[in-house]
Amino acid sequence: MTHFTRGRLARLGLVAVAAASLMLAGCSTVGSTSGASTDSATDSTFTVGFAVGGQPDADWQDLQGEVAKGLAEQRGWNFVELSNDNSEATATKNADIFIQKGVNMVMMFNGQPSANPVIAKKYADAGIPVVTFDIAQPGWYFVGVDNATAGTDGGTALGNLAKSKWNCQVDLVISAEGTAAGQINTWRTGNARDAVKKVCPNIPEANYVSYEADGNLTTSLANAPGVFAAHPDAKNILVVGLNDQAVVGALQAATQLGRDGSIMGWGQDGGLITGANVDPHLAGSVMYFLEGYPAEAFKIADEIAAGKAPAVKDTGTDPAASVQPCPVTAAQAAAIPNINDRVSQLAAAPQGTTEYDLFCKA
Amino acid sequence: MTTSLITPADPAAPQSPGGAKLRRPDSRGLPVSARDALSITGVWALLIIATTIVRPDFLSTQSLLAVTFTMSISGILAVSQAIIVISGGLLDLSLPVSLILSAWATVTALNNGLPTAVAIPIGIVTGMAWGGLNGLIVVFGKLNPIIVTLATGFGGLAVMLIFFKSAQIPSTSELRLYGLGRFLGLPNIFWPMLIVIVLGGLAFAYTRWGRRLIAVGGNPSAAKARGINLRRMRFASFIGAGAVAGLAGVMFSAVTPSFTPAAGASFQLIVIGAVILAGISLSGGKGNLLVLVLSVGFLATIPTSIAFFGLAPAWALVFQGALLIIAVGIDGYRLKRTAR
Repeated sequence: MTHFTRGRLARLGLVAVAAASLMLAGCSTVGSTSGASTDSATDSTFTVGFAVGGQPDADWQDLQGEVAKGLAEQRGWNFVELSNDNSEATATKNADIFIQKGVNMVMMFNGQPSANPVIAKKYADAGIPVVTFDIAQPGWYFVGVDNATAGTDGGTALGNLAKSKWNCQVDLVISAEGTAAGQINTWRTGNARDAVKKVCPNIPEANYVSYEADGNLTTSLANAPGVFAAHPDAKNILVVGLNDQAVVGALQAATQLGRDGSIMGWGQDGGLITGANVDPHLAGSVMYFLEGYPAEAFKIADEIAAGKAPAVKDTGTDPAASVQPCPVTAAQAAAIPNINDRVSQLAAAPQGTTEYDLFCKA
Repeated sequence: MTTSLITPADPAAPQSPGGAKLRRPDSRGLPVSARDALSITGVWALLIIATTIVRPDFLSTQSLLAVTFTMSISGILAVSQAIIVISGGLLDLSLPVSLILSAWATVTALNNGLPTAVAIPIGIVTGMAWGGLNGLIVVFGKLNPIIVTLATGFGGLAVMLIFFKSAQIPSTSELRLYGLGRFLGLPNIFWPMLIVIVLGGLAFAYTRWGRRLIAVGGNPSAAKARGINLRRMRFASFIGAGAVAGLAGVMFSAVTPSFTPAAGASFQLIVIGAVILAGISLSGGKGNLLVLVLSVGFLATIPTSIAFFGLAPAWALVFQGALLIIAVGIDGYRLKRTAR
């Protein structure tokens, strides 16, 4: 102890406090595994295991759990909910817990698909069917939004606006891409461009340009100014993109360069089409109602519980169930309830109802 | 062991009016920072000429707006990073967190009805507090700044994710309207960047604080021998850099209507690239903020040029990454040559 000066001890203490703070910060993002609604499934009641994704910046993932719990209660089923905590290790551990609890089927979102083959082997050995959201895995029922239709719907809506407002006299169609999203990007932006072409076939091919927005507003806002500068004579401008963030980034760049006199964008995912600060040039978006995925998954669960398990469809191109996208104008979006109210209304709706039925058909 | 070309024990070391001290002239008689400035200006001019040959309409006010807008936030952040690097703090990898944390504090203040004149200092002080936290751990814990700021960067992002998913500035706030406006034909946010660079450059060259900071970064042993408190100076550099990053956060919130905690990540590469390309040595004690503004301008021109060439935008990252590697290589070569 005599070797330790007061300064060293203070330094050691400081390092310990800093390390502890960081560890606490890290741990707090992991969150706690939600307690199971049912401790075990030893009775003959059908039991659904539900693993929410646990990504810290995605409210809809936790709400998926709430929706699923409500749907299970509606059917008088047992319900076991865990969180994958956005972690491969936790997702794998959760598979063991679900198997141990004897669930009849599992629904999950796992943001770390590299763990899925291991998890799939465990469930296959235990004979437990799995429904996966958005990330496909061979042998699992795939449920996801119909991205191809979403792209087409958004492009068609924007094309129709261009037709009615500008008689299809469009000088520039900008595509705010997110190439890292792969096929999803192609479906959403590519199909949107094709749909615009279909509505307005006389727009020259040279008027279609793409740039990398990476699916976020900051990158889009940084890269889009160059695109506008490179097309100085374009007056009537349309913007499609991977998501609302990418499209709004382009619209904001147009404002910065004084090019927002005649511009319209149509987003995807509905992330920025509601609230008090909707970009005035964001004409609309395609909403997915991500929190409502379990409504589709429970249609599969109903068949499995009835002993009539459907054939496994495990790819994005041939999904077991598609979540129908909902193209809305900014005015229509303003009338759609917020995410928590949507969950409440879905829980109170008759069995088999989806959010598309509740908020889009009307 | 490497040695700096500038030592605090050398009161006759030449000074540049626009930045830190000029370094010893090279074999061609040019000060190193002047040579850096000429090199970057030359490459930048080549890029502009090449783009203009392909697309003569490149030389337009639209291009000027695009480049100046793109370089504004990056430029302020680059000054923040430069303060850390020049003071011998290696690199601050948590700058994206500092940026977003300050922006969030500013927007939160505005959303709670506080006036702009209060919200802006809140954003800047938030940046200072973040810098102070890093400084506390690095300086008093005597830990590697890169590892510390990498860790605080992750931790800070995690904490922000707990407190907010996204933040939106009030669309009618004065700050937002400022972010959408222009002055003398250029984006409003360009001017604070220019002011920060000029003031920073003058501070490095003409204030006792600036000269001591260079001394501490360039030759800590000599600085200590001359009675400079190394800890205090390095801690102050983190707080000063945090204040500048806080200002970047305020400007970021003015031009970005909605942002998430991870929105600052895309600035990391361009900011580090700009600093290294400007010849601000990772070994500390060397650098010129006027060269830094050229470096930021050059890097900000690349995405616009690529749009004019019609290339896929991902090429911008390829070019910026390649330039970063070249700049680091040149920095390493210089250090070896100095050591000989």
